[in-house]
Amino acid sequence: MTKRFLSRRELLQTAGGGIAGLALADLLRGASTTGTERLNPLALRAPQFPAKAKSIISIFCYGGVSQVDTFDPKPELLKRQGETMAGKGNIVVSQGNPGGLMPSPWEFQQHGQSGIHVSSLFPHVAKKVDDIALIRSMYCISNDHAPALFQMNTGFIQAGHPSMGSWVTYGLGTENQNLPAFVVFADWRGGPIGGAPNWSNGFMPAAYQGTPFRSAGDPIVDLKPPSDMTPKRQQRWLKLLGALNEEHLKKNPADSELAARIQSYELAYQMQFHATDAVDLKKETAATRELYGVDEQPTDYVGRQCLMARRLVERGVRFVQIYSGGGNFTESWDAHFDLELNHGMHCKETDKPIAGLLTDLKSRGLLDSTLVIWHGEFGRMPISQRMNGRDHNPHGFSVWMAGGGVKGGTVVGATDEYGYAAVENKKSVNDLHATILHQMGLDHEKLTYFYNGRNMRLTDVSGEVIREVLA
Amino acid sequence: MLTGGERGPALDPGHSDKSRLYRFAAGLDKPQMPPGKTLTDGELKVLRQWIDTGAPMDAAKPEPGENEKAALAKLEERPITPAEKNYWAFRPVVRPVVPARTKNPVDAFLNVALKSKGLKPAPPAERRALIRRAYLDLWGIPPTPEAVDRFLADKSPDAFSKVVEELLASPNYGERWARHWLDVVRYADSSGFEFDTNKPNVWRFRDYVIDAFNHDKPYDQFVKEQLAGDEIYPDSKEARIATGYLRLGLENNIKNEMTKLDELDDVVSTTTGAFLGMTVQCARCHNHKFDPIPQKDYYQIQAVFYPAKPADFKLAPKEQVDHYNAEVKRVDALIAPVKKQITELEKPYRDKIIADKKAKLPAYLLTALQTPPEKRSEGQKLNVIQVEKSLVADEKELKPALSAGDLEKRTELQKQIKALEDTKPKAPDATLSIKEDGPKAPESHFLHRGSPGQPGSVMQPGVLTVASWNKYEFPAPPADAKTSYRRRGFAEWVANAQNPLSSRVMINRIWQQHFGEGIVRTPNNFGKMGEPPTHPELLDWLASEFVRTGWSVKSMHRLLMNSEAYQRSSDDIEANNKIDIENRLLWRMPRRRVEAEVIRDSILAVAGNLVEERGGPAVFPYIDPSLFQASSARTWPGKPDTDPSTWRRSIYVFTKRSIPLPMLDIFDKPDSVSSCARRNRSTIAPQSLIMMNNAFIALEAEKFAARLQKLAGADPQAQVDEAFVLALGRHPKQAEAERAVAYIQGDPHGLADFCKAVFNLNEFVYFP
Repeated sequence: MTKRFLSRRELLQTAGGGIAGLALADLLRGASTTGTERLNPLALRAPQFPAKAKSIISIFCYGGVSQVDTFDPKPELLKRQGETMAGKGNIVVSQGNPGGLMPSPWEFQQHGQSGIHVSSLFPHVAKKVDDIALIRSMYCISNDHAPALFQMNTGFIQAGHPSMGSWVTYGLGTENQNLPAFVVFADWRGGPIGGAPNWSNGFMPAAYQGTPFRSAGDPIVDLKPPSDMTPKRQQRWLKLLGALNEEHLKKNPADSELAARIQSYELAYQMQFHATDAVDLKKETAATRELYGVDEQPTDYVGRQCLMARRLVERGVRFVQIYSGGGNFTESWDAHFDLELNHGMHCKETDKPIAGLLTDLKSRGLLDSTLVIWHGEFGRMPISQRMNGRDHNPHGFSVWMAGGGVKGGTVVGATDEYGYAAVENKKSVNDLHATILHQMGLDHEKLTYFYNGRNMRLTDVSGEVIREVLA
Repeated sequence: MLTGGERGPALDPGHSDKSRLYRFAAGLDKPQMPPGKTLTDGELKVLRQWIDTGAPMDAAKPEPGENEKAALAKLEERPITPAEKNYWAFRPVVRPVVPARTKNPVDAFLNVALKSKGLKPAPPAERRALIRRAYLDLWGIPPTPEAVDRFLADKSPDAFSKVVEELLASPNYGERWARHWLDVVRYADSSGFEFDTNKPNVWRFRDYVIDAFNHDKPYDQFVKEQLAGDEIYPDSKEARIATGYLRLGLENNIKNEMTKLDELDDVVSTTTGAFLGMTVQCARCHNHKFDPIPQKDYYQIQAVFYPAKPADFKLAPKEQVDHYNAEVKRVDALIAPVKKQITELEKPYRDKIIADKKAKLPAYLLTALQTPPEKRSEGQKLNVIQVEKSLVADEKELKPALSAGDLEKRTELQKQIKALEDTKPKAPDATLSIKEDGPKAPESHFLHRGSPGQPGSVMQPGVLTVASWNKYEFPAPPADAKTSYRRRGFAEWVANAQNPLSSRVMINRIWQQHFGEGIVRTPNNFGKMGEPPTHPELLDWLASEFVRTGWSVKSMHRLLMNSEAYQRSSDDIEANNKIDIENRLLWRMPRRRVEAEVIRDSILAVAGNLVEERGGPAVFPYIDPSLFQASSARTWPGKPDTDPSTWRRSIYVFTKRSIPLPMLDIFDKPDSVSSCARRNRSTIAPQSLIMMNNAFIALEAEKFAARLQKLAGADPQAQVDEAFVLALGRHPKQAEAERAVAYIQGDPHGLADFCKAVFNLNEFVYFP
């Protein structure tokens, strides 16, 4: 480790006794280092133990996916259609009255070597089951969108905590300084409820926040100068700025914070080209575009996002999150009514792109180092709501992972006979987060950030790695 | 442990071999517990014996003749030891003797520490740097060239003191310093959560804070007004507005016992952090792990705020409010029959749509509907309720179904309603406040493990026991009081000169803003997990001086800014770097980046574009719509950058919790979710992208260029000189001037681009 002149106490406070040696530009405060070391909070850092994955792609089906219509078949629902769901205690619904048990309108079939059941909603993803580790026994705390989203993203139901992507970039830095380390793609219908706190750095420095990427045009707001600012003009401008800043630095040449800010312009300049190149799908072959469903409807939008995600992780971006669904009700997976229309539409939009992503990552040898996670913020009820919809259900839902050292063709846990609540080998959101960090070579108990009097963790005070899914 | 968590009970009394607690500890099952440590054989034996003998738990086990409740109540007690009370932050503030004769006592304390480490204080800062420092510090915008010249020309020994006085006398000061307090109380203009609705009138609280700083409101009064303005100053509108403090947190649209407890937790956490520098929220579920804060203290402090309920307070005179209510009632009565006509007109169309939908129901639902009610199964009853409630015709279906004539008729009726609505008078002025249900407070309980399912004793209001100098008695409310006087009691305890925390915590915040870091570097945590003070005697001397001046914040500014320490150069000294590179002992003035607001405000000011309009509802600068893409409930009515309504100081920019303004957010403006005692100061490439490419910056650069042309004419040499003087408070060095002039001459956009470069300079965004 290079000498940074942090006191032991200060080090412990930042790293919380965890990854000692983390030096944040922020932390040096007014202090300076000797030498010309240029500080960077996103500098590449070694994992705490050998990592399986280098990057994460999270596909967040915002609104809540119905497990009993996708990855968790429940024949009991057809047998007892219209009957009350008895013996499950008080059924709490988020709106209206609980209805009777509602069968899935979709057929389930076994797929692949592993014979995992997947419904006809996901014909393409179904072909990938042997690469997928499916957890059917997830549960979370809240049946309300915003808190559940926050919990899935940050581990806490309240806003204000750093998101998964922040924790991972805080722990590992990034492999490509010319691109943001943590990228978020929103649905074209709008962002998820709760907004920016979903990819917030919380109490950490802003360096760890997610950068929203647009799916068309310039990927980042303010990435490019106005059109009349030619590259030549901009270079000349940067030279002027650099010269004036160096003049100022002469007084305090050892100030690494000032030096880091000078360097940040160089990085920003580079980012303009690298970020544009990273999302330039024209550079992909027709066959690849076809694989993701780009140029066809309704898969074009998510297809583009998935393809961009691959290009980003290929370039060393640490964490990419893609939201499917935005806004309210039908715009998201929030199928309170007309489940067939809702899930039918969202699955069609995402099935081929997601399968294409898995295929493409694998064929490029990237799947081993990329952890793909597919999830919502909670599941849906086996009983009906408003006749033909399903209400929120935090008690049981399905999540899957692929790549990144995950054992394909695995099924973990089970829900009860109706798919209402996880009953066998239950897994919490903390467990999921612990597992994700583990694949990245980070111990969820040791990745800490000192704030407000204690060492904060993504997993708060619980969570166990889900060993069953590890290859 | 006995009822168990998600994985079942941890303990099976009498059977250590079946108890997960033992199995984990003994390494029989994974994970190993406690983590990273193996119990010794001896310890394991004790654990095993304890479980095998039935795992007796003496704390909650009733003594003979004692009932279970009393046994549980014993768990609530956690006495404070004299040693715990003797911790530095809880000891009374005793004014130390000033250790040397210096012009300013602050220097006497600092110099002792410097001398002991062999550190040589940095020389005084150049005067231009000094005045710029003072402006950025007290106003958050750079000095005008005239102000700099005046200061340079003033050779009197108190020239700098005069500058400080001028700065403190201007309302610009409040607009800068209020922001520090707004960080601490996590001020925002919206409520967060799913809908993130705007908080009506919350800007009045922001203006209250600005005024409080501008009028040097004594800090003890400032505390009392925010916590209990309604109880202590019942006739003051200002104090009423101050109680908006209790409404600043996230407010959930879902209301139940748990959300109420969470909102209270937010108030307890913010209040004890902001006013007392303590992390009392850590004691919600158990006694504090590090500090002597019993869980009971948490619930006694929670009981202080428990009776308060959200309520708007009408600032308008009663007659105006009555008139408004009467008018609304009158107009609504006129609207009702028109609405009825619309309903009648729509009815046949609605009925038809619903009948069509019914015909298409799945068989099992149709069967349920057709089954006579008395013969329906339980499930069918549920289904029928749903069908009846769900079969509706919405506007999307209704509108195309209406005949042309009926559609026209309906449009006409809707117009009538709109016209009537428009005749309603403007709502009378109100402010965000709270109310209580009278002198008798509703009961709240100690909650074991923080769970509303495990209530303990009824709680009386209380204070932070360890920090109290006596057994504090809460005042009894008069019989006709509108409130319980609990907040009054608490506020008076906080604002008492004998409180060991209040004065120390606030003077530390003031110090932090002047010197970059607090004497205690964890300003919201004076507990064991925080940092100890770097200069404990100085902290106590300042705390006592703060109280002696009548809690005058402005007096503290004068005291600190007139010290030698404040007026030192910020440049490095090689020899000192080797001893104290972190500059903990303040041998020089720290260099640090200015806050997000100061960057934006300075740009507006230097471009000659800052609108000096004070107070009132917040403004909405432009945000690229792709950053908050229209979720129906969350919007940002952004105005274009060219709209002068947005050219105001950043403290007036709307703080929407779910839609941060990128320009401020990227420079570490806090997220307003929890109290921010010290801002992060990060340096990242996306900041530079915004500063290079954002249209607002480009526009202001053009305005700055136009200003230079007006002030300095067409000569690039004069333009560059003027730019440096306006933006940096100094003339350019020859090398700088040559470089800049060559740049301007070499490009048709030269001047505006040069101006943008000035906004991007390190010197522009760092304290000198």
